[in-house]
Amino acid sequence: MDPNRTSQPFREFSHRLSLIFMITLAAALLLLGRAETYVFDRARQTVTDLAAPLLEVASRPVAATRRLIQRTDEYAYVFDENERLRAENQRLQAWREKALKLEARLARYEALLSVQLDPSIKYVSGRVVSDNGGPFVDTVLVNVGGDQGAKSGQAVIDGNGLVGRVVATGPHASRVLLLTDLNSRVPVAIEPSHYKAVLAGDNTKWPKLEYLAVSGAVAPGDRVVTSGDGGLMPAGLPVGVVIQTSEGDLRVQMFSDRDRLDFVRVLQYQFPGKVKRQDPPEGLKDEPEPVASAAAAGGNASGSSGQGE
Amino acid sequence: MARLDPYTPTPAARAGRIVMTVVPFAVALVLVFLSFLPIGRIFGSSVMPAFAFIAIYYWAVARPELLPPMAVFAIGLIFDLLSAGPIGLWAFVYLFAYALTVTQRFFLINAPFSVFWIGFGAVAGIAGLVAWAAASLFFGQALAISPILWHMGMTVALFPLVAVVLTRIQARVLPGT
Repeated sequence: MDPNRTSQPFREFSHRLSLIFMITLAAALLLLGRAETYVFDRARQTVTDLAAPLLEVASRPVAATRRLIQRTDEYAYVFDENERLRAENQRLQAWREKALKLEARLARYEALLSVQLDPSIKYVSGRVVSDNGGPFVDTVLVNVGGDQGAKSGQAVIDGNGLVGRVVATGPHASRVLLLTDLNSRVPVAIEPSHYKAVLAGDNTKWPKLEYLAVSGAVAPGDRVVTSGDGGLMPAGLPVGVVIQTSEGDLRVQMFSDRDRLDFVRVLQYQFPGKVKRQDPPEGLKDEPEPVASAAAAGGNASGSSGQGE
Repeated sequence: MARLDPYTPTPAARAGRIVMTVVPFAVALVLVFLSFLPIGRIFGSSVMPAFAFIAIYYWAVARPELLPPMAVFAIGLIFDLLSAGPIGLWAFVYLFAYALTVTQRFFLINAPFSVFWIGFGAVAGIAGLVAWAAASLFFGQALAISPILWHMGMTVALFPLVAVVLTRIQARVLPGT
């Protein structure tokens, strides 16, 4: 008898069994992943580190093609573009005069008030080497890693504005959470009125403005910049402009182009100085007598139990 | 009745068998990697197609025994690890789509290419829905539906391109199948 023939039904059965087992395993992983365990993070980091150099090399021709196409596009509109730039240049010259005057005046005021100035920010430039990572996440890999000084939490900008922030770093690559991602929350300020809000991504192209105290004071077209609250990002990085959707909620059209990310900068901003823990004033320190004695009793109890062991 | 001798594979046959089990998986792995290349950015779009999903569907119809469930699981898991999404999501969805395709295999196996393509469209649609539901449950909120529509739509649109390459590979590297 042919052994291959007898094994056929058995093989089909084992195929089906392993299919059921694997589906169950995947579902179990999905449930376990809710807990955000350390093991998963390590596994993800390892795979990312392995893939990053490959992606880096493979994305070079892609980037070159993109630049070539962009260049040909530019050639087609070179005259119109020139015309437009000339007009813009004239307008900007006037602005420059104004800015210089204001800069001088500001420096004088700052000197008079002895304002604490923000330290200048160092940055590392890198290239985006991966795509967004599927329909439910908006993250990219950048070829700037821990070896170049990238750290979790650092802001990432492109030529036009804020892109996102670093959420994980390996030695040679980091993962950047884009502003549009579901999990992205960035404290921002809306410029002329300086109202504070939180820019919250929801996987659509335009992130929402949340926790806006007075939405009436904000109009479409207002500039959105980072507020620097929390000390993670420097204040005043350009983010985008306020737009209003047809449903009436306020969202932000970003200056950075998520679909054409190429070179980006990782800002190595350090919040100037740590705030020390605030101790209560001397006079209040030993005021609440019963609490202090209870704490002392607790201390004694634990001390005695420690002796007992 | 002819009595067959017990089958003892020659070294060449053994090597052939290794190639047969490795090639579909390796091709799918390359396709996962290809998904993460920022190709869409050339055209100013951040939509990425799921190339590996096409390979899974293709082998599930053509030769499911060459791409066992374990391989599908591994492909999905690597996709999950490379993307920053929930771990196990695409492993689950790909296995689900694989199971669905294997059970409907006999409608598709000798059908013309258009039916093969439409079948993929149906499987991709269902898989997209399952993925969206699972991700929404994971994140505890109804997610935006447009990214998954784009993702699956792009994949279905690029199906013939990848399917042709896979057919070539099957004809060249895995003859007699």
